[in-house]
Amino acid sequence: MALPVSPPPDPDQDAALASRGAGDGLAEGTTNVPASTSLIAEDLASPTPQHSGAVARPAAASRRRLTMRKAAPYLFISPFFILFLVFGLFPLLFSIYVSFFQWDAATGLGGMEWVGIDNYAFVLMQDDWFHKSLYNTAWMGIAGGLPQHLVALPLAFFLHTAFGRWRNTFVGIYFLPFITSTVAISLVFTSLFSREFGVVNAMLGALLHLENIDWWQPQYSKTMISFVVWWRYVGFNTVLYLSAIQTIPRDLFEAAIMDGASRWQQFRHITLPMLKPMIYFAVTLTIIGSLQLFEEPFVLTAASAGDGRMSGSGGIDQAGKSAAMHVFTTGFGENDFGTASAVAWILFMIIALMTMLNNRLLGRDTEGR
Amino acid sequence: MSTVAHRRFSLDNLLAYAIVGAGSLIMLIPFYFMFIFATHTDREIMSVPPPLLPGDAFLMNLEILLTRIPHFWKNVGWSVYIALMTTALNLFFCSLAGYAFAMYEFRYKKQLFALVMGTMLLPAFVTMIPTVLVMSWLGWLNEPRALYIPAACTALGVFLMRQYIGSAIPRELVEAARMDGCSEFGIFWRIVLPLTGPALGTLGLITFIASWNNFLGPLIVLSDMEKFTIPLALRSLQGTGQTPWGAICAGAAIAVLPLLLIFSVASRRLIDGLTAGAVKS
Amino acid sequence: MKHMLRPTRPWQVLRPLTGLLAVLAIQGASAQTTITVASFPDFDRAVKAAIPLYKKKNPNVEIKLVSLSYGDHHNAMTTALATGANLPDVMAVDFGFIGKFAESGGLEDLNKAPYSGAQYRSKFTRFSYPQATNSKGALAAIPADIGPGTLFYRADMLEKAGVTQAELTKSWDSYIESGKKIKAATGAYLIPSAVDIKDIYIRSGLKDGDGIYFNKAGKAQVNTPRFQRAFELAKATRAAGLDANINAWSNEWTEAYKREKFATQAFGAWFAGHLNNWLNTEGKGKWRSSQLPEGAFASWGGSFYAIPTKAKNKTAAWDFIRFMTLDKEMQLEAFRKLDAFPALLEAQTDPFIDQPIEYLGNQPARKLWKDAADRIAAITVDKYDIVAKEIVDSELDNVLMKNKDIKQALADAQAQIEKRVRRR
Repeated sequence: MALPVSPPPDPDQDAALASRGAGDGLAEGTTNVPASTSLIAEDLASPTPQHSGAVARPAAASRRRLTMRKAAPYLFISPFFILFLVFGLFPLLFSIYVSFFQWDAATGLGGMEWVGIDNYAFVLMQDDWFHKSLYNTAWMGIAGGLPQHLVALPLAFFLHTAFGRWRNTFVGIYFLPFITSTVAISLVFTSLFSREFGVVNAMLGALLHLENIDWWQPQYSKTMISFVVWWRYVGFNTVLYLSAIQTIPRDLFEAAIMDGASRWQQFRHITLPMLKPMIYFAVTLTIIGSLQLFEEPFVLTAASAGDGRMSGSGGIDQAGKSAAMHVFTTGFGENDFGTASAVAWILFMIIALMTMLNNRLLGRDTEGR
Repeated sequence: MSTVAHRRFSLDNLLAYAIVGAGSLIMLIPFYFMFIFATHTDREIMSVPPPLLPGDAFLMNLEILLTRIPHFWKNVGWSVYIALMTTALNLFFCSLAGYAFAMYEFRYKKQLFALVMGTMLLPAFVTMIPTVLVMSWLGWLNEPRALYIPAACTALGVFLMRQYIGSAIPRELVEAARMDGCSEFGIFWRIVLPLTGPALGTLGLITFIASWNNFLGPLIVLSDMEKFTIPLALRSLQGTGQTPWGAICAGAAIAVLPLLLIFSVASRRLIDGLTAGAVKS
Repeated sequence: MKHMLRPTRPWQVLRPLTGLLAVLAIQGASAQTTITVASFPDFDRAVKAAIPLYKKKNPNVEIKLVSLSYGDHHNAMTTALATGANLPDVMAVDFGFIGKFAESGGLEDLNKAPYSGAQYRSKFTRFSYPQATNSKGALAAIPADIGPGTLFYRADMLEKAGVTQAELTKSWDSYIESGKKIKAATGAYLIPSAVDIKDIYIRSGLKDGDGIYFNKAGKAQVNTPRFQRAFELAKATRAAGLDANINAWSNEWTEAYKREKFATQAFGAWFAGHLNNWLNTEGKGKWRSSQLPEGAFASWGGSFYAIPTKAKNKTAAWDFIRFMTLDKEMQLEAFRKLDAFPALLEAQTDPFIDQPIEYLGNQPARKLWKDAADRIAAITVDKYDIVAKEIVDSELDNVLMKNKDIKQALADAQAQIEKRVRRR
């Protein structure tokens, strides 16, 4: 939707599809009671309602009730679709339309000028800033995303095997960053990463005897942003993995322990293989989330915004500018709504492509199960 | 729990505790410093080493915050208002739609539900540009409703409610009410809704938090400082070279505190809700 | 005499009357008029200072000030111009954005009636009007303050290093040489960032009608000796370790000022206000101002007021703008309060200009700035100035950090600008 209230990595398409089976099963299991319901469902197109006729009622009233009953679900789900139409689908279609125009929106709708695929050609072939932002996005996606899983997997395993009563407390601690206001905490991080007086540099200096790092220099800013991203989402992934580990039959572990398997062997030979579907799912969420990365870099890089620069340009040398930020600056900074829309659509296509690719690579093994 | 968890106190376990413990410190440190800095003057914050214990400058920081963001309490008010409106609308519309998807058989149900779920995949930035235009055509720019109406019925909410209603409410109950002559909406309102308490609670909390934290939405539709939500108001302190750190941390603490409170009483429910589908798969 | 008795055209008789009607109309309308002024820090302080004074004259006009941070303000105004919604009546525009906004077509042409801004042209600093005039000759905004470029330096540090002002400013090379002595003697950096030297250098040595990045025909002027030298100077500064590599307006920058780590800063005259008000309040008496090295004169910054075409209260807005820009007292007030150097000539000749500035060790620096203002070329601005700046800064970064060849960097910058500026 246009302005989603749902949290960044939306949980979750696949799970919905997976659980749909269960829901339908339930519906089928209970069809003996509302026999008429399924009849009606089949006959929706036919104008004459079928009488279930267990209780005798005046025909007109009964018909009205049946019409109501047929209309009700559509009525009940209509708010979602009306909102989606106005604030989701229409903007979506309009942005496709706009992407084929040169349009300085200050001139009003009449100022639109058809340019064909010119915007797309520019963005793909010429727009160095977009390419840079894409590179940044990939960089930060890998540096911020991969460690999420590398840490979350063993973490979930530890939490499962070594923590009893305290497990929920620690799960809560790791999950806390996920529900926290990105802006508020990014602002706090801005001070923690400060060159001269930041806690991060103080710690690095004490532990590794490093010189104070200026985290807003182009060679460091992506690392800083990636860390904050990692910090925000590692707990979310831990919870995903933990819940999946909890569904692994206990006797598998018990049998392994009987055989004298070490904890590493349990992790390697039981947990990891059993978690494959969840890894696929969680990685998919991370990929989608990373490609949409906006808030963390937007707020963190604003700290180094200098004189005469637009908001969202990603700091020095645009080193911290994500692709979604490039959509923002092209649209609201440069005022070029046509090109901005083209950028958005190209980015959208990349997300779809990456999701498909991930599906091919990781999903193949999963489907067999 | 199991024999696995109850293994003897071993070196292995010790290592696990150490790693998990160190990790949780990393998770908590930013919050810790947020609260500590909120009680120190900028000078103290910028000293080396930074202050590690609470100071006494919180009220002063609050005062700076209120001078730099003159409408701060109003901003808090808008955030609360928008979050409450979004939550109320979601509770109603999502449970209504969830109920329809869970309890009715109708044509194109599967396809429509797949469409609902599909909308979750739509990245916000794709519609960012036209959304501003739509809002300006509707005359909703700088209006809170530009935030709570588009978000009044979210796919995640519909999904959560469908899951819950489908599994927790017996169809016989709905049928019986229908036999008694209860209207379709009446069934929902009087029979189903009262039984969805736990799910409504979860959905309410998730929606409230998401709205409270929302940044991109307000960023593109609000430009009047008086109508800013807290995240926007806090961010406006940035980039001038005179960032008041103590005040920012005080503001951030005020923005985060409600979330911490909610989380401390309902963490299990929130975690389950936010990872709902995944847990069930 | 003659023409008074026998007007050539009948409507000329009515002219005073229409004027009266207009006044009545303004006052009638202003019975419940609220005008919205959108501005940004620190420039918004001029409006804050003006509100009570303006209300004294116009008790029926409410002024609502909407102030966002520099970047956000200009982003918000861009969006507002694009959507036509949430437009203020009076829009403050910084020099950095004036080119882009002037070309947007969303601002009133103040040369046209009823504003007839052209009549005030001679009242303002020579170079200020051309900055606000777009390629079609429309006057998009009225200048409020200007930024005569000047070099601020720490007298105490120079003394300690045995460097005289003449030595410091003789040439850019002697400036850098002096920097080495200062660094050795005091440990202070010559300048926060080498980028600052590039920025002031590319603004100097321009002729009337030139632009910083583009010529009048809109052709990028980046691969030129001016940029070449600017990049060389920046590189030499960095190589000698004379800059702290800190971006202006960042938090590190502020902190470093508070800790007195910089010996000089080339900026607009308005910077004295920033130093005095918050950056280095404790440095009172230690700072001085001089002309730029090598006898250069450059305009750095400046602010304007514009009226959006879709504004609701244009008449009242225009009245307020005239108050802010044409009223000598108001201009002096801003001069006093935030060292915003007045664009209004009348204010520049006020005795106030000769008064010593306590912060600058009682130096009567305003005279110096006035002198600079008189000699700054009337440069033009371009819609794509911001884009060009972004690209040039990036390339300079490549030169400074990755040791990229300057010639190559400038050629690349030129090519990149031409690529991005694809639609004129």
